[in-house]
Parts: sequence; structure tokens; C-alpha cells
Amino acid sequence: MRPLELRDVTFTHADSPKRALDGISLDVEKGEFVTLLGENGSGKSTVCMLSNGLIPHAIRGQLGGSVKVFGYEVAEHSVAEFATRVGIVFQEPESQLFCMSVEEEVSFGPENLAVPREEIRERVEWALELTGMKGYNDRSPFSLSGGEKQRVAIAAALSMRPEMLVLDEPAYALDPVGRTELYRVLRELKEKQGMTVLLAERDAEDASTFSDRIVLMKAGRVVGNGTPREMLRDPDRLRSIGIWPPQLSEVSALLNRRLGRSDFDFSSVQEAEKMISALISSGKGGAR
Amino acid sequence: MTGFVDLYTEGNTFLHQMDPRVKILAVIFLSALALIIGNLYYLLVLLAAILLLLAFGRATLSKTFFALKLVLRVMVLIVILWPFFNPTGSPVLFHYGIIKITEPGIIHGITVAVRIACLASVWYILMFTTTQRDLVRALVKMGLRFDFGLTLSIALRFLPTFGAMVESIEDAQRARGMEFDKGSLLKRSRNYVAVLVPTIVSALRTADMLSLALQSRAYGARKDRTYLRDLRMRPTDYAALALFALTIALPAFAKYVLQVHI
Amino acid sequence: MIPRSAGRADQDFFIVARDIKYAYEGGIEALKGVNLRIKRGEFIAIVGGNGSGKTTLAKNLNGLLRPTSGAVDVAGMPAAKMTVAELARFVGYAFQNPDHQLFSGTVDEEVRFGPKNLGMIESEVAKQAEHAIALMGLQGFRSAQPLSLTLGIRRKVSIASVIAMDPQVILLDEPTTGLDAGETTDLFGCIRALNEEGHTLILITHDMRLVAEHAKRVLVMAGGRIVLDSDPAGVFSDLEILKSSKLEPPPVTLLAHRLAESRIPKDTATPEQLVDRIVALAGGRR
Repeated sequence: MRPLELRDVTFTHADSPKRALDGISLDVEKGEFVTLLGENGSGKSTVCMLSNGLIPHAIRGQLGGSVKVFGYEVAEHSVAEFATRVGIVFQEPESQLFCMSVEEEVSFGPENLAVPREEIRERVEWALELTGMKGYNDRSPFSLSGGEKQRVAIAAALSMRPEMLVLDEPAYALDPVGRTELYRVLRELKEKQGMTVLLAERDAEDASTFSDRIVLMKAGRVVGNGTPREMLRDPDRLRSIGIWPPQLSEVSALLNRRLGRSDFDFSSVQEAEKMISALISSGKGGAR
Repeated sequence: MTGFVDLYTEGNTFLHQMDPRVKILAVIFLSALALIIGNLYYLLVLLAAILLLLAFGRATLSKTFFALKLVLRVMVLIVILWPFFNPTGSPVLFHYGIIKITEPGIIHGITVAVRIACLASVWYILMFTTTQRDLVRALVKMGLRFDFGLTLSIALRFLPTFGAMVESIEDAQRARGMEFDKGSLLKRSRNYVAVLVPTIVSALRTADMLSLALQSRAYGARKDRTYLRDLRMRPTDYAALALFALTIALPAFAKYVLQVHI
Repeated sequence: MIPRSAGRADQDFFIVARDIKYAYEGGIEALKGVNLRIKRGEFIAIVGGNGSGKTTLAKNLNGLLRPTSGAVDVAGMPAAKMTVAELARFVGYAFQNPDHQLFSGTVDEEVRFGPKNLGMIESEVAKQAEHAIALMGLQGFRSAQPLSLTLGIRRKVSIASVIAMDPQVILLDEPTTGLDAGETTDLFGCIRALNEEGHTLILITHDMRLVAEHAKRVLVMAGGRIVLDSDPAGVFSDLEILKSSKLEPPPVTLLAHRLAESRIPKDTATPEQLVDRIVALAGGRR
């Protein structure tokens, strides 16, 4: 069963006149790493909250269309039922960690599900290892850096053994170091665990490197859906939906424009280096 | 701000290892003992025993003094004032008009002060050697509903966070020219609204996010739950419990049944 | 009351920090000897990772923290002799989290709060509030409730409420956290206008792309010290310092360093710069 399937979904918050989602259809296939890119208010958070039933059960509003998570309509099943299949990480590190130690936090989920003690122990160690937080068991959340807190939040979601991990702007409050560590964990989850991941982001720079698919969102609608290369190559398009284009895309687009070409399309620093140094040494790049 | 509530000091003493439930009961028994003992000298022995226990719990001298400092002022006040209000018995040491001071009066005042010292310091046996987490676990095992236990532990967990937040809010408002230490009490209270509102709003926002996180981790999914780390009474814990029970049972028996003055 | 325009007219530097050190309770030394001189009208970015001391330094400049050794002079006067409220006339501080400052019923009241506290007369308060609201583009939100607005607008309100006190120096602590591209561009438009009006802007940030585009002077902090005080070109050409200060150089800079052999200058920091230089080098040779 497909992890996530949205068909013509509309949603309006209870206390807001504006539509958060204005008729979107979207799929996430098993094992895919999908990044939702959009500015504030584009609806990407709303999609995240739908993926485990928080909308419509915990967050009130009018939901239209069909939202199926692993084949089940979210409106018809409780958040608790989805909790074993979907793990979610929010953007504020501070307000999603509520236990007094890392170990308690990561074991909280399985404890709620009455998982036997030995298995909880295994899951906790596995989750901490995956997120690079091994040995942090007795640390208090107050003593952790922002990046460490977010990794604990991921571990706390992983210990429920979800089949899909959803992250709503997890790097929101992090400094560059925290951000890099976080993305390293996500990349490993994808490559070594084959985890299905749905990530909402405002910044195209990091996501471009390892997402399988990028979905561009604006004003509650999907305006683009394809590979990172396809979606990120046009900086003007990204700017029009309120997203910083990756700098490499800017460079290739500007180069194309200045030199009257259209073949520059860098997807990595290495690729860019090769093509540009070739260009310079051949001296054939003169503007026409 | 954490220091006020989290008094736990790292250690591996027998007190640290003792089941927190036994410690809670020990504190209750020893407090009861302090209340039923009337003789000053026995009370001093009890106080010495409590301080000895604190020392065993690796409570440093400075921490113990910190513990007593809070009640020291009250104790001094009582020692000084009590004789004036309790001029009973003989020998009379001073008499001038309505002011009358007797030796038993002074001794009684000191007794009450020492009793207060016992009652105050006995709690630290628990607080210095038990983590907040074990404390809440113990309460839940002793009958507190899990929901309440979770509420308590969330409150404790967020105390330092909110403490830091309030400081940050105060700083932010001071940087806008707000002065919290000037003006009448009324003016200062009104000024404090500038700190209260952001604090409450942030607290409510955090609570909202927390509830989403709790639900996402299946809180309340089932009536039963398991625990990764649980409290289990060991033979030493039972022995200690029996010992503490005796420390209150025997004197109580002596005082109320055998009518022995203690 | 300190007169608003104290200090000699020929005072070169508006803020002078002389070998300041700061240690928190518990002994952690957050500032290990910082020397800094800031002129009126500068646009400075203070960058550094978590724990580098940048916020501690900022708070030492407006009196929220007092140096444990060394001295800070503001507007020619020793900061040690002024209260935070008095310093607020000269150095305004907009906190990273606007929700830590907002509490009024309307944006207008919020913006007036600061000037009122400073004891300005009503007509002056109105003038300053008006100016601040106009500068930040908040005209349409005057009677809105600050807490009900989106983050981008809330941040603008918090900054406006600092501008309204008309301080010479405005300190912005990570003002772009949580903002998307459009909101960031909008905000920087306002910030540039502030600088053009003559205010000194000090930006605390870890976003090197923004620093590349806007700052004229960059202070790199690490381990409680300023490890580099230079213009953006000087900073971006030194990858070692950036990496050891836990900062992420923009991808363009990383690329430029790799292309050093092709004679691309190492201090390239924006896509436009890079492309200009590539085209110049590529077109030149025949």
C-alpha cells in the first residue's frame, strides 16, 4: 500500500478564512525520499500534519478530498492507529521533547504501545545508534544543542518502527553544524534503511542533493513535481514560489544566459568544477 | 532556577541505590518521629542522625548548610521569641512587669527550633539522592495516576527552560527601556505585564506543540503500558523499610502505650 | 537623565570595546578578550557558530551583560555608568524571537512602548512610531493584534518597536530565522533603508549567503574571540577560518576555491560574481 496518497485535497483551518490546501494531489511511494519545497504558508506543513492524522483529528478544520495513509483514510482512523506506521518530527526542537532524559524520550512511544521491555531496549539502542546519539541515554534535553535535540526527536519517532518518517522543517532553528548533522542522519536513513521520507523545507540547497523527488508548492497547490534536477534547474521559477534557488542552479542559469548556451546544468560542486575549468581553459566561452 | 527544584547530587551511596519509595516513606516516618519526640536531647540525637544520613548521601557541607539556611532564620526567631510567649514552669530567670522568662520556656523554644530543623532537613535525604525521574516514578507506583505523573514530570522538565525564557523576555523588555526595579509596587506590577504576556503566550504555544507530539507517539492509545526502566524492591530495600518502620513504631508504642516520656 | 546627543561631534567611533571578557556564573568564559571599534553608519555582520560568543558580545554592547573585565564605551561615555534603559537610547536590540517582546493589543501600541519608556513626549513618540512603521512597511497592520500575525510580520513589528526608540545602533539577532526568501528580501530592503538613513547596523547571523550579499564588514567569532575582522572578500577567501569557526561557506565560495587553479579569485561569494569572473576568464583567451 502506498505510504501517502492525496487526491484533490482541500483544507481550511478552523480559525482562518484562507485555504491552507487548495486542491492538491500527491503520492509518496515506498522507499522514496520526497521533499516538499515552498514558502511560509504554501501548505507544506499542512501536508505533513495530514500524513499521520493530526489533521483532522488534533487540528480542527474543514477537510475535503481523499487522504490515504498506507491505504487508510485519515479521517476514519485515529492518530494512535497511524502512530505505528508514521513517525513525525516537528520544527521546534524544544517543544517536542518532554521527558527528563533522552532514554525516556525515545522509549516513550513503545511504552505507550505496551511493547515488551526487552524489545523496547533493543529499539531504543537501535534508534540512538541510527541518529548518532548512542550513549546519550541519561542526558537531559536541557543540556543538548539544537541539532542534538532534533536527532533525539528523530530517534523518538524511529523507536515506534514507522514505515514512513515525516519531518516538518526540522532544520528550522538549527545552526549550520546542526543542520549538516541532521541531513547526514536523513541521508543515512534513506541509503541504509531504505526508509520512506517526506520532508518539508524552505531551502533548496540541502534537499537537492539526495531527494528522489521534489514537489514545489505555492498557495496550497502543487506547482511542480519531478526529480531534483528538473525542479531546481530554473532559479526564476523557484524565486517565483518564494524559494532560494540552490546557488549552483543560479550559476548555471546565469552562465547559460551570458554565454548564450543552454547546456550548463550543474547538480554537484564536482560537476560544476569540471565543466567550468574546462570552459575556462578552452577559452571558447566568449559571448556571442 | 533549576537549582531550586533539582537538588540531585550524583553519587553511588546506599541512599542513592535505595528504592525511592522506601526513601519517601522514610522521610514520612522520620518526620512523624520528630513530631512525637518532646525531649530536647532526643531531638538533638535525631537531628544528628539525619545530618549523618545526609553525609552518607554525599551531601557536601555547603549543600547541607544551604538546606538548613532556609530555616535558620525561622529557628533563630523562634529561639528568641518563644520564651516570651511561653513563660511556664520554673525556675523563673527574669521578671519585669508582664515580661517573664523561665528556663523551661527557653528550653521549649529551643526544642521547637530543633524540631523544625529536623523536619526541614529530613526532606533533603530524599531530594539529594533521588533523580526527578525516579521521584515521579515512585509516586506513580505508589498510586498516583500516570497522567498526573506525566504532568508532573513535564512540569519539572520545563522548569529550567521556562526559567531561561522568562529571563530572556525580561532582557528583551529591558532593552526597550522597561525598568523592573523602579517605581511603586503598582507601577511595577503593571510593568510586569510586559513579561507575563509573552511568557503565557509562549507557554501556550509550547503546550499546543507538546500535545501534537504526545499524540503522535500514541499516548493514550492503550489502557496498559510497559516501562523500560522500572522500580523493583530488593531485599535491602525491604530491610531498610523495616528498619525505618521500627524507628517510628517503637517510640510511638513507647509513648502512647507504655506512657513513657520521650 | 543623559542628554540624547552626548559625546563630542568629532567622536570617531560610536562603540569602543576594550579587551572585554565575560564569564557566566559557573565560570564559563564566553568572551576571552574582545577588542572592537565601530563607527557610525557601518553595516557589520557578526558571524560564528553556537557558543562562539556572538550573542554574549552583543549583550555586552547594550548593557544587558556587563563585562567581567575590560570596558565598553558608547557614544563617548562609559557604558558601565549607564543603565540598560539609558543605553537603549543609543543601542537598540531586536531579539531573535519576536514573541519574547510582543505583548500589546495593537501593533501601534507595541511600537510606541519603547519610546514611551524612554520618556519621550507624546508628539515625539508619535513621530518616531510613524517613522518606524513606515520604514518597516507596516502601515496596513497598525491596528492588528501583533500575536495574530505571521512570523515575518511579527519580526518586523519587533524590529520597528526598537527603531522607534531612535537609537543610533541597531542590533539584530538572527533576524532571518524562519523567514522564506520573499520575506528575507523584504526585510533586508528595510534594513538597508535603515543603514542609508545613517543608522549603524549590526547583524548577528550564521547565514553566510546573506553576509555575502549585504554586509560591508564581517567579524568572525570563535571560542569567545574575534578571529577575523575584515570585509566580506577577506572573509570568504579564508576557508580555513570559516570551517574552524563552524560556518558553512556558501556553495559558490566552495566552488571558487576549487577553481583556484583556473584563476578564479578565492573571495568569490555570490553567483553573479562567480559568473562575471568565469566569463571574463573564458572570454579573454583565444
